[in-house]
Amino acid sequence: MAIAVERFRRTYGDLTAVDDVTFSVGAGEIVGLIGPNGAGKTTTLRSLAGILRPTSGHVRIDGHDIVDDPLEAKRRLAFMPDEPHLFEYLTVEEHLRLTARLYNVANVDERARVLLEELELSGKENALPGELSRGMRQKVVIACGLVRSATTLLFDEPLTGLDPIGIRKMRQTIVARGRGGAAILLSSHLLHLVEEICSRVIIMDRGRIVADGTFAELASRADLAAAGSNLEQIFLRVTGRDVAG
Amino acid sequence: MLSASLYIMACSARNRLRVRMRRLREPRYLVGAIVGAAYLYFSFFARLRSRSALSRTRGGADGRATPVSQLLQSGSGIVAALFLVGAAIGWILPFNSAMLDFSDAEIAFLFPAPVTRRSLIVHRLLRSQLGLLFTAVIMSIVFPASTPFGRVRWAIAMWVILTTSRVYFTGVTLARGRLLGDGGRARQPALVPIAVIAAAVAVVGRALIAAFAGAPPANIRDLAARVEAALGSGAAHAMLWPFLALARPLFAPWGLSFAISIAWALGVLAVTLAWVLQTDSALHEAAAHAAARRAGDRRTRSVAPIKARATGLTLAPAGRPEGVFFWKNGVQTLRAGGVTMVRYLVPLVAIATAATSVALGALRMRGGAAAGFMTAVAVTMFVAILGPQVVRTDLRSDLAHLDTLKTWPLRAADVIRGEMLWPSAMLVGIGWLAIACAMMFSFAAFPSVALTGRVTVASAAVLLLPAFVTAQYLVLAAATVLLPAWVPIGDQRPRGLDAMGQRLIMLFGVLVSVIGIILPGAITGGILWLVLSRIVGDIAIIPAAIACTVTVAIIVAAGTEILGPLFDQMDITSVERAE
Repeated sequence: MAIAVERFRRTYGDLTAVDDVTFSVGAGEIVGLIGPNGAGKTTTLRSLAGILRPTSGHVRIDGHDIVDDPLEAKRRLAFMPDEPHLFEYLTVEEHLRLTARLYNVANVDERARVLLEELELSGKENALPGELSRGMRQKVVIACGLVRSATTLLFDEPLTGLDPIGIRKMRQTIVARGRGGAAILLSSHLLHLVEEICSRVIIMDRGRIVADGTFAELASRADLAAAGSNLEQIFLRVTGRDVAG
Repeated sequence: MLSASLYIMACSARNRLRVRMRRLREPRYLVGAIVGAAYLYFSFFARLRSRSALSRTRGGADGRATPVSQLLQSGSGIVAALFLVGAAIGWILPFNSAMLDFSDAEIAFLFPAPVTRRSLIVHRLLRSQLGLLFTAVIMSIVFPASTPFGRVRWAIAMWVILTTSRVYFTGVTLARGRLLGDGGRARQPALVPIAVIAAAVAVVGRALIAAFAGAPPANIRDLAARVEAALGSGAAHAMLWPFLALARPLFAPWGLSFAISIAWALGVLAVTLAWVLQTDSALHEAAAHAAARRAGDRRTRSVAPIKARATGLTLAPAGRPEGVFFWKNGVQTLRAGGVTMVRYLVPLVAIATAATSVALGALRMRGGAAAGFMTAVAVTMFVAILGPQVVRTDLRSDLAHLDTLKTWPLRAADVIRGEMLWPSAMLVGIGWLAIACAMMFSFAAFPSVALTGRVTVASAAVLLLPAFVTAQYLVLAAATVLLPAWVPIGDQRPRGLDAMGQRLIMLFGVLVSVIGIILPGAITGGILWLVLSRIVGDIAIIPAAIACTVTVAIIVAAGTEILGPLFDQMDITSVERAE
């Protein structure tokens, strides 16, 4: 499995953000990670990326434990956070060169050119982050993630700040990477996006996984059968939010 | 709007206090608060008590009056003249009033609200009162006074002065904005205060020149008496009147006399406030400018002036991981500080120093050369001792990017070493330049010193400087890794008693730790010097310096390896953003 999470738990002081979570994502699989605010999605993704240390449990990327063998695990993954953190003094092109150097990417010029074109950033090579809109900065973060051949891609709200054309392009990009064999874990509140491009969905609530499976599997689950086959209806049912509606 | 302002102030103060009290449950804040409180007590309140005791034993007279305080206490004329100078300088210096620096929340909530721009300024003025009152109280404690009433008088007078100056500089900022932005007709009202201040400076300056022409003052009392006489009547007195009105409460005796003087000072404050509030359009411009700087996205404010200039630094496609940080931090420094300045400043300093030194030597002006020498030595000392505290282009500045750094496939020790590399190289470069300047000046300042002695000392300094600088960066990296919550991110300056205590502990800890790192090097070098000096003489200081630097380098390298696992365990949630 490209991503293997086993009994993962993460606490912040007295608060347990993620509790006893176990799941896996295989190569070529695009898995949606959804849940209400505070469910533990971002904590899970940040722990997978090596930013947060698990309080207990194991996170493995291509068999490499993120705590015990962090360098090998990190070489294989690319994390695209929801908030685009860029170095204020480096241009778009310099960000790509920096990433290429860190991950030993050969032929960076050609890769960068293709990516910038794909993400509609051509002409912005020499722009600093301060000169870019939020959506463009988001695209730069994504370009840095895609410039290397990562086997595991982690997206946290990848469409935030993008315009309709950018959203369409990003959807195509994610699907293309999945078809190319990358394991993709994507967190989003846009349920129609998850429904459209993900082959499987993990629903989290209050730090725990409350549902995990393909849409067909979830729809056929006895306790969810009455909810309907729509992801939104399933989501509301499993998280207990469908009572008011 | 006034009620809304008071509501914001009351709620903010209450909640800030609540947050700070809650934070004290954590040992790191509690220790910081205790140290901060102790510092405040021993710096101000203990001083206050000892002064009162001293004053009692001397029959009420204040025995610690310094020449400066004697000068200031001798009359309001001198203080008023100083206020005038400050008011004039305010137009020249390119600083904007903090009163127009609206917070993001103020922009989001108050700008779209149906309130006038004038109300917004009044709101900002009200919000600044707490800080101004605190400053006034601290100043009343610091300034020598024989009675508690004297301190209260000082506190009230200082509060009026500080508030007036805050309002005045807001007016200056607004007027400057109009001068730079509007058309000719709109500029005219903004020119009036400049003309008034310029006239006041000219008239007062002329009176003072006349008072001192041909006869320098015999002592401080004579100087004060002549200033008072020159400014006590005529046109100079009239021009200086608003400043005198502000200064008088500082000197008025307690009672009716003080009440009258404070009433006049408040009158000056009211007129200044009316001047600031009179042009709604200028306020609108300033408010819009503030909104443009801060609204929406913080990045706009922080990076707007940066240009993507070529720096001359290129990142090789492969190499040691430390090189990535050297390049990244180098680009940051050069783009933030100006590539051109760095490119031309170094040769200019070297050429100017060499030329000056030669000229001073030829003219036999040893005093001037000695001053140049001392300045260069002072720069070297500053670089060696305080440079790493000031130049923060290391792990401290990258705490804001810690989540990004943590995703990079790099050994933590390499990250720490890499973050130290650029600022160390930069400071060592500056220090070496200063040593070279000192060396050049020394030829003219101390011609009798032998060349070998000169070269020996300079070489030792050149060799030791990297040890001092890198040792400090190691300690600062350790402090960042071990106590990330105590390290301010970017340009943040955490406030509060606990933050002050934390800074003091950090400063003390860094100094002690640096001594601990350098000591083994100093011992090694010292032993080598003792052995070699008997054989080769003074030149033994060079191998001793090499031994010291090598020892420190080994300790620093080992230190980065020890810090590596700690960096890996460092929790991003322990990095806190200031309030």
